[in-house]
Amino acid sequence: MLLPEIPLQPLERGQINVMRLTSAIGFGGATVIAAIPSWALSHSWEWLPVWAAPTAVALLGLWSTLLVRRRWARWGWAWTGRELHVASGWLVRSHTIVPATRVQHIDVTQGPVQRMFGVATLVLHTAGTAGSEVDLPGISRETAEEIRDAIREHLSSDPW
Amino acid sequence: MTDREPRRVHPGTIGIDFLRRAPQTVIGLPAIAGWSSGRSIGWILLAAAVLGLVMLFFTWISWRRFTYTVAEHELIIERGVLNRSRRSIPLARIQDVSIERKPLARLFGLAEVKVETGGGEKDEAVLDSISVAEAERLRATLRGQVQVPASGEIEVESPETARFPVIFAMPVGRVILLGMFSFSLVWIAALFGVLQFFDQFVDFGLDRARDWAEVARDEVQARFSIVAALAVAGFALALGVVSGVIRTLLRDYGFTLRAGAGRFRRTRGLLTRSEVVVAMRRIQLAMVQRGPLRGAFGWSALSFQTLGGSNDPSGRQAMAPLAREHEVAWILETAGLPQFERLPLRPVDAGHVIRSLLRAFPVPVVIVAVALAVTPLAWLGMLLLLPIAAVALLQRRFHRYALRDTSLQVMRGVIAQRDWIVPYENVQVVTLRAGWLQRRLGIASVLVDTAGAGGGGGAPDVVDLGTADARALAMGLVARIG
Repeated sequence: MLLPEIPLQPLERGQINVMRLTSAIGFGGATVIAAIPSWALSHSWEWLPVWAAPTAVALLGLWSTLLVRRRWARWGWAWTGRELHVASGWLVRSHTIVPATRVQHIDVTQGPVQRMFGVATLVLHTAGTAGSEVDLPGISRETAEEIRDAIREHLSSDPW
Repeated sequence: MTDREPRRVHPGTIGIDFLRRAPQTVIGLPAIAGWSSGRSIGWILLAAAVLGLVMLFFTWISWRRFTYTVAEHELIIERGVLNRSRRSIPLARIQDVSIERKPLARLFGLAEVKVETGGGEKDEAVLDSISVAEAERLRATLRGQVQVPASGEIEVESPETARFPVIFAMPVGRVILLGMFSFSLVWIAALFGVLQFFDQFVDFGLDRARDWAEVARDEVQARFSIVAALAVAGFALALGVVSGVIRTLLRDYGFTLRAGAGRFRRTRGLLTRSEVVVAMRRIQLAMVQRGPLRGAFGWSALSFQTLGGSNDPSGRQAMAPLAREHEVAWILETAGLPQFERLPLRPVDAGHVIRSLLRAFPVPVVIVAVALAVTPLAWLGMLLLLPIAAVALLQRRFHRYALRDTSLQVMRGVIAQRDWIVPYENVQVVTLRAGWLQRRLGIASVLVDTAGAGGGGGAPDVVDLGTADARALAMGLVARIG
């Protein structure tokens, strides 16, 4: 908790499944890709077992997928009526504050996996450089649209 | 005022373009082809002429296909021979119109006009090249100002520009001084690189030449005493100073900063005169830098981070590369920015020293360890760790911040010191961040995001504050954004 004075709301529980599935898909693909050079190298180095690299990647994926719950629990958000707070991060924790008047435009997006579990991502675009795009994934579509409409009232024509 | 019919860039551009590419194509290719196949000089000349005509034709076609139109609300640029493209830039989005004169274009009395919008793209709209009078007219039109009556001989400093008072200027003496401060050590590296190459060449000489090589190497080593090494170093140093002065003279000769009508106009350059316009309301933050040598002599450099309009990768525009404190203060006042005040600044947490030490040590220690494998003399390298440690210990003293009336002010850096002035209305996003070690030390960083910043760590972040201070700073900043 970097800012205890701002009470944060957790993400939807559906987001746990989204994170698990995307992590599993990502590392599954990486395992297959890791098998190719491993197979190619095993021709020249006989001592190298073909399964070593893919297994390492798969174990990493398993670990990352098991950690999903903890990472999910580190996410949190709050809409104070003036600014949006988004907290995240397991090892390096961060808490981002986006004043509504600085928002240039807003997207509500929903990928196929997110649609499966009924969650959406709110994307805020600002004129900034490092924080030019702030994502809040894993909230319900209704909540995302509510926040979007609330922020829309604050949009100014010249945010610089 | 608008002109609906499309215009082309100046026909002289065909000549410039042709001349620019001629050396490698028209002359180079036939010469190589002819020489390698053993043809006569007549054949080479004929081939060059044919190739030249073909190239001229293509250059002419692409010139014909490039048109620009100033319509009522937009600037339209059409180009392309096979892939036609049409780009329309709303006039309201145009941030800056800059005019640049390269030596070859100067010869033809032409100028290159760059139209910049807020977007990140590099060449959003470049008109290469049009006559100086047309450039002036176009700029006046695009800026929606009264058109300057076109006359034959207009310097880059337009009459419109010359009207405004000079805020800051650098006489030749100061430009040379700046050049001496900014000498580069690249020459030393290059020179020793050549010697190294020579050494290796001697080392790996062919068998036949081995005897000769050994004699030569003994000779070289005998002569290459410490005195010779010092002489080479001295020569490289002199080269570094001279090249620094020449580079700076080329870039900053006649540096003049004018202000008026809500804009700064900066003109500089010896061969390529360039004029850059910075609209005051596009200024996001001010940064004052004091290099190690410059700072000791009481000089500092001022730059503004602006939204669009900067070719510099840092996203900043140099406003005064070498200035005294009162000159910096005057430019800041003209820009309507608050002055930087040192007294009310708060230092960051003591944990910053620990993190600085942990960040500074690993690389030099590894280098010394590797060098130890080669020569035991590398222990002397440990002496180099002393200044590194001293700088790390001093980091906290020089990293301070304050929330002033209208701006966030941050200072950072021991050897190269930097001061930031960030008006609250330009802060975009505030992020609190704490890594694993930071949480153990009870500290956190506050990252301040602004518009138009490039890469390169130029952000006014406040690193390693006590957690309570970090919370207060983040909440205070957000509350003042309003």
